[in-house]
Order: sequence, then structure tokens, then C-alpha cells
Amino acid sequence: MNTPLCTGHENGIGLSRRDFLNKCAMGFGAIALSDLFNPVRTSASGGILENTHFAPKAKRVIFLYQSGAPSQMDLFDHKPVLNARHGEELPDSVRRGQRLTGMSTHQASFPLAGSPFAFGQHGESGATLSELLPHTATIADELCFIKSMYTEAINHGPGVTFMQTGSQFPGRPTIGSWMSYGLGSMNENLPVYVVLTTKGGKGQPLTSRYWDSGFLPGRHDGVRFRPDRDAVLYLNNPPGVSRESRRSAIQCLRELHERQLAQSKDPQLENQILQYEMAFRMQTSVPEVTDLSGESEATLNLYGEDVRQPGTYASNCLLARRLAERGVRFIQLFHQGWDFHANLPERIQQMCKKTDQASAALIKDLKSRGMLEDTLVIWGSEFGRTNYCQGKMTKDNFGRDHHPRCFTIWLAGGGSNAGYTHGQTDDFSYNIAKDPVHIHDFHATLLHLLGIDHKRLTYRFQGRDYRLTDVHGKVVKPLLA
Amino acid sequence: MRSFIHKIVACHCVSIGAAISLAGEVSFNRDIRPILSESCLLCHGPNAQDREADLRLDRPEDAYADRDGAAAIVPGDPDNSLMIWMINAEDDEDRMPPSKHARSLNQAEKDLLYQWIEEGARYEGHWAFTPLPEMVAVPEHGGQWAKNEIDHFIAARMAETDLKPSPESSREKWLRRVSFDLTGLPPTLDEMDRFLSDESDAAYEKVVDRLLSSAAYAERMTSEWLDVARYSDSYGYQRDHDRYVWPWRDWVIDAFRENMSYDEFITLQLAGDLLTDPRPIDVIPTAFNRLHAHKMEGGIVLEEYRVEYVADRTQTFSTAFLGLTMECARCHDHKYDPISAKDYYALSSFFANIDEAGLISFFTEGVPTPAMPISHPEADEALAAAQEEITGLEGKLEQAERGVGESKEFELWMASRPDMTWPGLVASLSFDDREGETLVNSAAPDHPATTSELNLSVPGVANAAIAFTGDDPLEVPEVGHFTREQPFSAALWIRPRQMAERENLFSRGGGADDAASLGYEFLLLDGKPTASVIHYWPGNAIRAQAKEPIEPGQWHHLAVTYDGSSRADGIRIYVDGRSIETTIIKDNLTRQITEWSGDRTNLVLGQRYRDRGFVGGQMDEFRMFDRELAVAEVKELYDGSHLQRLLQKEVDLLEERERTELLEYFVATGHEPVAVLRRELQTARAKWNRQMDELPDLTIMRELPEPRPAYVLERAAYNARGEEIAADTPQILPTFPQDQPRNRLGLAKWLISPDHPLTARVAVNRYWQIIFGQGLVRTPEDFGLRGEPPTHPALLDWLARDFVDNGWYLHHLLKQMVCSATYRQSSWTDEKTRKIDPKNETYSRSNPDRLSGEMIRDNALAVSGLLVRTLGGPPVKPYELTVGFIPVEPDEGDGLFRRSLYTLWKRNSPAPAMVTFDAPKRDVCTVKRETTASPLQPLIILNGPQFVEASRVLAEKLIREHPEDEEAQIETAFRLLTSRLPEKEEVSLLGNFLDRQFSEFRSNPAGAERLLEVGQAPFSGDVDPIDLAAKTVVINTLMNFNESIFQR
Repeated sequence: MNTPLCTGHENGIGLSRRDFLNKCAMGFGAIALSDLFNPVRTSASGGILENTHFAPKAKRVIFLYQSGAPSQMDLFDHKPVLNARHGEELPDSVRRGQRLTGMSTHQASFPLAGSPFAFGQHGESGATLSELLPHTATIADELCFIKSMYTEAINHGPGVTFMQTGSQFPGRPTIGSWMSYGLGSMNENLPVYVVLTTKGGKGQPLTSRYWDSGFLPGRHDGVRFRPDRDAVLYLNNPPGVSRESRRSAIQCLRELHERQLAQSKDPQLENQILQYEMAFRMQTSVPEVTDLSGESEATLNLYGEDVRQPGTYASNCLLARRLAERGVRFIQLFHQGWDFHANLPERIQQMCKKTDQASAALIKDLKSRGMLEDTLVIWGSEFGRTNYCQGKMTKDNFGRDHHPRCFTIWLAGGGSNAGYTHGQTDDFSYNIAKDPVHIHDFHATLLHLLGIDHKRLTYRFQGRDYRLTDVHGKVVKPLLA
Repeated sequence: MRSFIHKIVACHCVSIGAAISLAGEVSFNRDIRPILSESCLLCHGPNAQDREADLRLDRPEDAYADRDGAAAIVPGDPDNSLMIWMINAEDDEDRMPPSKHARSLNQAEKDLLYQWIEEGARYEGHWAFTPLPEMVAVPEHGGQWAKNEIDHFIAARMAETDLKPSPESSREKWLRRVSFDLTGLPPTLDEMDRFLSDESDAAYEKVVDRLLSSAAYAERMTSEWLDVARYSDSYGYQRDHDRYVWPWRDWVIDAFRENMSYDEFITLQLAGDLLTDPRPIDVIPTAFNRLHAHKMEGGIVLEEYRVEYVADRTQTFSTAFLGLTMECARCHDHKYDPISAKDYYALSSFFANIDEAGLISFFTEGVPTPAMPISHPEADEALAAAQEEITGLEGKLEQAERGVGESKEFELWMASRPDMTWPGLVASLSFDDREGETLVNSAAPDHPATTSELNLSVPGVANAAIAFTGDDPLEVPEVGHFTREQPFSAALWIRPRQMAERENLFSRGGGADDAASLGYEFLLLDGKPTASVIHYWPGNAIRAQAKEPIEPGQWHHLAVTYDGSSRADGIRIYVDGRSIETTIIKDNLTRQITEWSGDRTNLVLGQRYRDRGFVGGQMDEFRMFDRELAVAEVKELYDGSHLQRLLQKEVDLLEERERTELLEYFVATGHEPVAVLRRELQTARAKWNRQMDELPDLTIMRELPEPRPAYVLERAAYNARGEEIAADTPQILPTFPQDQPRNRLGLAKWLISPDHPLTARVAVNRYWQIIFGQGLVRTPEDFGLRGEPPTHPALLDWLARDFVDNGWYLHHLLKQMVCSATYRQSSWTDEKTRKIDPKNETYSRSNPDRLSGEMIRDNALAVSGLLVRTLGGPPVKPYELTVGFIPVEPDEGDGLFRRSLYTLWKRNSPAPAMVTFDAPKRDVCTVKRETTASPLQPLIILNGPQFVEASRVLAEKLIREHPEDEEAQIETAFRLLTSRLPEKEEVSLLGNFLDRQFSEFRSNPAGAERLLEVGQAPFSGDVDPIDLAAKTVVINTLMNFNESIFQR
């Protein structure tokens, strides 16, 4: 910035700019106008929590969301029994009458399908991973696996909604919105909560509801950065309008508003002046963060060839690191396409090729910059897949339906228990044999790592105090470092 | 400095509420109820499951009750009340509320409780549950200042404080405010001049009358109602396909245009379908109940989502009309309000009685049932004409058929009786001739059937039969492509392996649930043969079902015939050669059965896409005909001899029954005049059907003949049915009227009864919020115990009573509000007022509200002259939709410039600029928008093509209207955007800014050209591009001025 547009207004109505930002720095400097006249007590960063409930281990979260539900028994949850009994009927004693989706519930036969992929142990921790994840294998000791996740939803829409909000029906705030509401911002020039979606994603559709704020005020919505010229809605000046021209427009507005401010001392005017200045600054801060040209060759190579193409999963992983560096609280990637109801053996290989290297690179990159310690990375999805084949099974081809009763996710950094594997499924990867972790428990643990007691971050809506974990959830202690 | 301000503000916040009350008597509703609700009732309230120490504090009889010689509350004796001991206990372990509780009591609250008990601990009923009083006394305060009753109430409250009413707004600013509040649009220059020059007493009222009678008023009120009704042009959830519901929105516009009374407005939306002989225009408003999201994701459990839709209707009803958070009682008794889970389910059952499914169709374009066609006079005429023709032909045909028995032709035929043939046979599968996956279709040798080798050949009734796995279909290509006017029949032998809930014998269509079962199907449901012809299951279909199941493990012969009438009594089912008694399950087929997407085009046997197949069942001798078979033919198919025997039997030896069967056979196959009439009838039906298929369908409410059984659902789980309950209204509210039916119409009548404690209060409060920025009850969605009490309870009651007594007319209500002195106050205020009353609870000034997203955009279009004033019609796609989450191509021409309420609303990709300006996503009923300011908002006005284009168009207009007079150009722009003339200093400021833009574009002429190309609206080549570009920037900047986007 050339001219100092943003000097304080200490002589205005008595609120210094710093004070002001303290109140309004929730998500891109947004503020509820009613708050202007009713100062609510908040933390220095504008969150509703003046202080976290306990010392936070993680300051920020990167959630690598694998949309469509990856198959746990082809990636993490090695089950030789399935290979031994390949083609046999799923025993009733294992299914126990569980409800199935309308896609396979009418099948006359439910043949078990063993994974065609080889598994091995990796790192000092000896984590089990399939051959599809060679890069993840190199960071095995950084990871904390939960093999006993379960949910209640059996379809994608409700499933993603549950993972994101703690309820399978739309309308509640997503995890990032709760963080924005509770913790506020660490950088007033960038959103608190940024969403990056892989360009050209196919498969189960994404909807903006997966990152919206539900009944929380709209300023806690996730802001999706687009992989094109305007990363943020109408970020750039209209064609032909220079930065200099815009600067003088902001200046002109400020002068008009300051005249009125001098007479009325109305805080709304002061707020408006600041909002316009912040908008002006964002026009440079956002392009700066999305511009990967300053990254070293070594870094780019770490993430793989795709990283050079904006909008790819790899490029989004690197962008996530840059956003994290600049203080964005919650960054969520959505990568679609894991929903293999048919032709799983072939398609899962392509999918892993697109994601494995960049996921691992992000962990390595964060670690080398000393950021892994206080950045929690999550790799996961809405549910798992069935051990039986959906549709026709042939010698080397099959598909898997949705399976809510068990699935695997992993955590890294941010105070999670590196090199540890939590929970266990039965020999069929169908039911959980040990240490089940419900999505509510996962949410409680996630908030705990951020220093938040999940029972004490609440928002009143229609007469009820809501929280991310509804009326459930317990912190899973073994997951903590 | 910051903490200092907090202190001042905090101190004044307390003073306005508590200081007044401490001086006088404690009021239970104002002072005590909030404390109990916030801090005590979670554990000592109405919810029995969570109650601690068996103590209730929400009812006096419990709170005063003797507990081993002591009582929680001893009226008049705080020092002997356990409550006072418990809240003051020194030990953290003992003190109430417990430390783990998020709330603790401050000293002021403790003092209030003490004083309240000292003064007798009098409980009061919750204000919102007490009937609307018949009369409300108007205070005398207000003197010269007051213009109507509203002002007396406002002045009375202000008199309790140090505050005085703010000065009147300037006339210009009042005009601007009232124009936006009532129409959502700015005043025109002409309207400003006319008002300013009219110095008569009636000038203000004249403006109000003009605004209320404008079409723009109806659009503005509709715009707000769209939030309440969670209106969306798409189905929502994950797929979010577009849907056709805007006729409902246009009905709302018309209702506001004609100043329909509010009681009628809500009655029609809740229950227009239940009026006596409802006209289509009475039923369209019931779409209100169906505007919730609908699920289109194959694989879900249908009942789970059907239950969710019912819950959505219930929640919308409760929030919009009752201002209650009934939703809380969906899982358990309400924690704060006296509403039980039973109350919730009794209320929700009113909304369950329609023929709907939880999943909507992915593979067809059909509209979720119940639905009704939206017609027009031409179509009505064509349908009536076709219907007349059908009725005439049906009569003629019946007559002709009756006459055949006596006719010469029949006599001749009886004498000759040719050998039998099988006319109309389109498929014939014996399952005997099979080569791997191919089976001979002897009726159409070019179209053999195919199936998986897993479906084995087994011994059958006649040689080989086929045994189905249930997962593998047998497909017959190119046959059985029947429309619904086409009669057809099928016959087959089956041997089910087991008695199952559902087994598919044969069908043709797009699939089961994922295609709303469109097509025709023959199933075994609990073993009962069931035949259906379906446009959209369950509400648009015919289905007949055998009364008795057939035995598994045995071979049975089944046949089904259909006469092309689209009526359930046109279906007949035969078992082992005998026509059997059937139950009519559905009888409402009004639309086509042949249009679906996907590659499932064949007739399929033994299996169906995502449905339960004929698992382990065997099938033999399948035949299909493109006509209705006669009884004798079905018998022939069953025993292989019946008809042949009759044909050969001597005439004299024929029994009467046999003669009748032969006559029927002749009528069905041989009598040409009847055949001609049948073809004509089929053509007439086709005409009616095609005409109907051209009309769009609107999803509406239509009551089932019998209500669905309703249950309390434990923890709201769709499959955890508890106690069965009957439809009823919540116990805490007035009882359901004896003389009303227990359906939605009765519910609406209950709702609009003149003394109802909530309906009018809730409505009046919402309209107060529209006009004054905040409701008298600041939680318009919650009038319950945890909602905020009204700032002016008597005013709320007076307004509500007056509203009801004057016929529930909004014009009357709104006029009162905007003609008050309260409304005339300026929004500019001093620091003292702001600090004493930060929330403006006294209404001692106008709130400086930001315009809604819709108004900000409409304002730019209006001042530039781009606004296209077409009323109603299909949704439009302005520029912003091209940058939504799921981009949509913009409209060309008018669609870019319509008012924002017409912008296509997609639940999963809502108009991004509107959402940035705080429009709710309309997932659920929303009665209040929170206004926020964020830096994302300036970017929209500064950079969005809609605003840049409007600035350019206005700039060009002003350059033409005031050539060579830059000051006039600036002044006019300023006036259009703020409704006032600029001050001198403002003009010179803008002049300097304009100069800078000139030099900017003079050094960058190419930039000027590019700027002018933004937007589709043309511009003339004879304006200097540099001049135009510079002024475009200036006007665009002015659009961002505080007074352009805020109500001042």
C-alpha cells in the first residue's frame, strides 16, 4: 500500500481502530451491525470466547475432505478374512439386520469382496497401509489413525452434513463456522474459514451448504476461494479501473463519511469507513496468498506435478499451507470422487494417484516449517464402504456400497497422538470391535485440541442453546498427544 | 479506553431495565421469568426427564410446596426460602446454579429474586399465552408530539427514562424511508418534487396511500414473505434440481395487491384445498406447505425423509404463525416452554395427511405429489372438449357393446365361429428355446429376450421355465411400450419361492423409487398380485390389488388386463383363470407413463433397478397383448383348452354363461363397429392426455381420505414409534374448537380466532419489524419463555387487537405505523441517547437500517432507469448467478433488470450477492434477517457488473439531461441516490474526485473503453468515453455512500 489509508480514527468517537477490529474481526472484518451499539465481550481476535477453556494445542485446522467415502478396507483396514472368504455371503451374524441403502438393500445376494491390494507395515509405529498409498506411508509416524469411526447416515448428503455439522439434516453450522464464531480471526485481511474445492470434481455433488454457517450469522460462512481470477466474489476492479482510481474512490467516500462522522459521531459511519478500507486491502492480500509463483522448485516438487495447475488437489494442498501460514483458522479442501459403487479396483488406484502425494507433502511441508505442531490436519470422509459387493461381482471387479458402521480417518499434528492407531473393527471390517468413535466424539476431540470444551461453545437459536456436538460427544483422550 | 466504554455501556444497559424495576415493584414477567428461564428451568422446569431434586420452579404450587418442613420459595419470607439459601451458598459445590452450568447469577439478579419473594413471590402467566385482551387502554402521554395511538404508548415508555423523541426527519428523508419500507424502491425525482411542494396536512398520508396501492408494495411484502415461506426455485438437499413453484409466489403478490386480509391470507396457504369445492386459485396457495427441501438422492430411507418434510411444515407453521420453537419438543418435552413432545406430534399430524413420498424422482420430470396442473383458459377449453368427446364415446361404446348380443353380426359369427387366434400378441416367451443368454420371443422373433446365465432354466408348467436370482433381469426389447390410453394385458405362470414383502414380476419404466415408479408394474406385495399404472408414485397412479395372497411353492397362473381408461376399475386381475376380487389402492392417474431418462427402456421380468426382484421365483409361459383380453381368453391361457372347447361346442348345447363368454370374446376381438369406437375412444383419450401433459404441475396439499396414524416418535427417530396420538393443538394454547374438523382447515380456523394469544401478536410484531427495523418482541421467532419480552407490551396488544377488529388488513396496520410521529423521527442521534439506550428499546429515534440486498440492487436499477417493471412470472437470472457456487448462464435482456425478488433462488447455490448482503439461504422459515457489515459487501457494489453497468447508464442519462452542466449532473445523481440535495462541501468534494477520474482516464483511454463495455445495456457512441467513464466511477462511488445504502 502506497498511501496510508488506514491510519486510526482515535479522534473519531473514541474507539481506536484496534479496539474496533477487536470487536469486528470475525471473518473478513465482518460485524453484526447490532453489535456496534451493543458491545459484546469477545476475545482479542473477535471470537465469542474471551479465553479458550484450556490451553489449545492446535491454532488452526486443515481438513482434507475425501468426498464420496473412500474404502477403508482397501486403504487402511487390512482384512485377510475377506480375501479368504471372497465371494461367500455376508453372514447374517455380521450384518445383524443393519439398514442398507436403497441401492443394495434389495439385492438377493451380498458376496464378500476381499481387497485386491497388498498391505504393509510402515514407520516405527508399524502403521498398516495398502500399496495404494506409498507417499502416505512415508509419513506414517506423523499420523494418528482412527479405525473405529462410525456415523448414523447411510447416504452422502446426510453423511457429509453429519460430518460437517453434527446432524444429518441441513441447517446447523459447520465445524469451521463454529471455530469462526468461537475463536475469531488471526488475520483481518483474510477470511477465518476458507474452502477449496478440486476443480472439475465429479461424483456426488458438493453444495455450499457443506460450509455454511447454518443458524449462526452469515459472516461465519466458509468463503470458497475460486481457482480463477476472482478468488473472492467480485474481488477485482472492473475492467479499466486502476488501483489508483479505486484508491481515490475509497478516499472520496471516506471524506464524505468523515464529514458526517464529525457531526454525529455515529459508530456506523466509522464502521463503514473501515469496511471499505479492509475491502481495498483484501484486493491485494487475497491475490497474494493465492499466487504460488514465489514457491521454490523444491516445494513444488514435493507436492507433485499437479501442483502447477490451479484448482487441482495438489495445488489446493499447497494453498492450504499458505493460508494456514497467514492465520486462516479453518481450511477445508473438498476432493470429490471416492464413491465407487462399481469398478472399485481400477478407480481407487487413479484416485490415490491424484491425492496421496500431495496429502503427504502437506504434512512434510508443515513439519519443515515448524507449523505441524500447532496445525491439526484431518484426512477423512463421511462414512466407509461395505465389505460386500454391490452389483455384479466378477473375478477381478466389484463395487462397494455405503457403510456407516465403521470407517477410517487420520489426524496429524496439532496435538494429535502421532504414530498411534485407535480402535479396531471386526474381521470383516463391518462392525467395530474396540473403542468406537462417533462423529460427535470426533468433534468433541477436535474442539478440545483447539482449547474448547465442546459443551461450552453454544449459540442460542429459536430458544435452544445449540452446540456442534448436539447433546452428545466425549473427548477421546488416547487421541491426544 | 475500550474497557471504559464497556463499563459505561454495561452500566447503562442495566440501568434501563433493572433500575426502573428496583425502584418500583418487581414484575414477574419482566424481571423474574428471564432469570428462572436462563438459570433454573433447565433442571427445575417442565421437562420431566431432566428434572433434578424433583423440584419445579416454573409453577407456584411446586415452588411453594412443603419439602420436609421447608420450601423452595416461602412467599414474603426470602430468608426462609431455600432458593435464596441455595443461590447464596458459599460452598461452590452447593451453590445454585451449579458451577458446571454455563450460567451463574450476578448480584443484581440475586437481589431481584430476593425482592420478588419479599413482595410475595407472585407468579404471572406467560404474557404470550394469555388471550388477546378485548380492550387495551391508550395512555395519555405524548401531548403535541403524538400523531396517533402508537405515539402515546411510545411516549409513555419514554417518560420512564431521561430520553426525549428525536427531531423529525427532513421531509426528503421521511419520503425515502417510507418508500423503501413500503415498496422497496427509492422515490423518483418527480415524487420528491410533488411531496416537497405539497404543504397540506394530508401530504404525508397521500404518499402513504399512493405507496400502499402500488404494485411495488405487493412485491416488497412478497419479498419478505419468501423468507418466511422458505421459498426456493430448486428442490434443495444434494441434487437441488430446479422446480416450478413460482405460481405460488405470484399468488402471494396478487394477495398483497388486493390487500387480502391476513386471516384469509394464512387460511388459504394452510388449507385452501379443504374449502368447499375449492377452485384452483384456492389450492395454489397451499404450495406454501410444500416449499421445503425435497430429497433426490437414491438410496435413502424414504420414511425418514417423509417424516422430515412433515417436521419442516410443522416448524414453519410454528415459527411463522405461533412464534414458538415447537421444534424443541420433537425429541423431548420442551425444556423451557410448557410444550410436550405429545403436543408437538399432535400438531405435526395435521401436516402429515398427504400422499407423498420421502424421495423425489431422479429419472423423471414429474412433480412430487400431491400436485395440480396449472392451467389456462385455452387448455381448460381443450380439456373440456376432449372430456366431452370421451364421455360421449364411452356412452356410445357401451351401447354398442350391449347391442352386439342381439346383432346379426354376432349371429353370423356364432354360426361360423372361426378358429381362435391371438390378435395383439406382442410378446410370447415359453422359456423353452434358450441359447445361453438369449431366449426366443415367438411373438416378435426379431426381438428375442435376453438374460443372465445365472437365471437358470428349470422344469416348468410346460417344458422349461426360468428361475430368477432376483438380481438379474430378463429383458424383452422393443415391446410393451404402452401409453396410458392403450389397453393391454399380460399373462404368466409363476412359482414364488417364499412369501415376501415385495417381489417384482414384470415392469416397464424408469425404475422404482428413483423414478417415482413411472410406467406399469406387476408385483407380489405380501404375496398379493398387484397391478399398477403410474405417473408418479404414490399420488398420481392407479393400483388394484388382489385381496388374497397366492401360495408360495406352487405354480399359479396370473393375468392382468387394463382398458386404457386411466381408472383403477379398468384393471382386472385373474388367478388361475378366474377374475378375482381386488382392492383399489390408488385411483388418480392423470399424466403420462412413458417419459423417463436413463437407459432402462426394456420390459423387464424378475428384477427391477434398485428394487426387490423375484428372488428364487420361477416363471413360465409369459404373454403380453396390446389389448384387453376377454375372460375366455384368460381361461384359455390358463388351461389351454377352454376357449377352443367353447368355439367347437354346438350352439344349442352352450350354457348361458358360455354364450356370454363367447359374446365377450367376439366383442373383444371380432366386432368391427365396436373396434372402430374403441379406436376413436383411445384417440379422444390421447387428446385429453396430451393436453394435460403439456400443463406444468405445481406441488400442493390434498388431504388423504383418511388421516395417517400418528405417533410420538421417540427422540425424533422416524422408526421409533411410541404412543399413537390424535391431531390436536398444544395444551397451553386455546382448545381446538368443537365445531371444526380435525384437519388443516380446522387448524387455520383455530389460528385466526379473534382472541388467539399468538397469531395477531406475532403478525403485528413482524410487520412492526419491517417498518421499524426491530420487532417490539425482538425475538420474532420465539414468543416463548426464553424469547425477549416485548419492549412495549401494551402497544403490541393494542396493535394486535386493533388489527383483528379492523379486519386483519395490512394496509390499515402499516398506515398506522408509518403515519406515527415515532416513525417520523430522525435516525441521527446524540451520544447520550445512544449510550442510555443502545438498542433503541424506547424508539426514541429511527434505526439507521441498512437496505436489504434486494433493495440495494433494486435501487441501482431504479435510479439508472434500467429496472424492468414486469410483475410476476418465471424466475430470472441476473449477472450474479454467473458467479454463484454453481454458475448459471445469465439471461439476456429484461431478465437482467427485474426486481431482485424474481432472481432464481437455488438452495445450494443461492444468489451470491444477496447472500453477502445477509439474505437467508431459505433452508428453513426465517422471520428475521441479521444485518452484518463485511468488506465483501463493498466489493459487490464497487465491482459487480450489475452496479457498474447501472452507474454507467445513469451517467449517460445525466450527461444527456444536463449537457455541459457538471454540477447539475452531480447534484441530480446525489439526489437520486440519497433523496436529498448535496451540501456545498459535498459537491466540491465530488467535483474534485471527478477531476481525478478525468485525468485518470485521460491517461488511460483504453481503460475507459473497457469500463464502458461492462454489462449488456447498450450505450450511445456519441458520448465522450472519457467523460462517461469518469462519471461512471463517480456515480458508482456514490452508490456506496452511507445515505445511499442506509435508511437515514
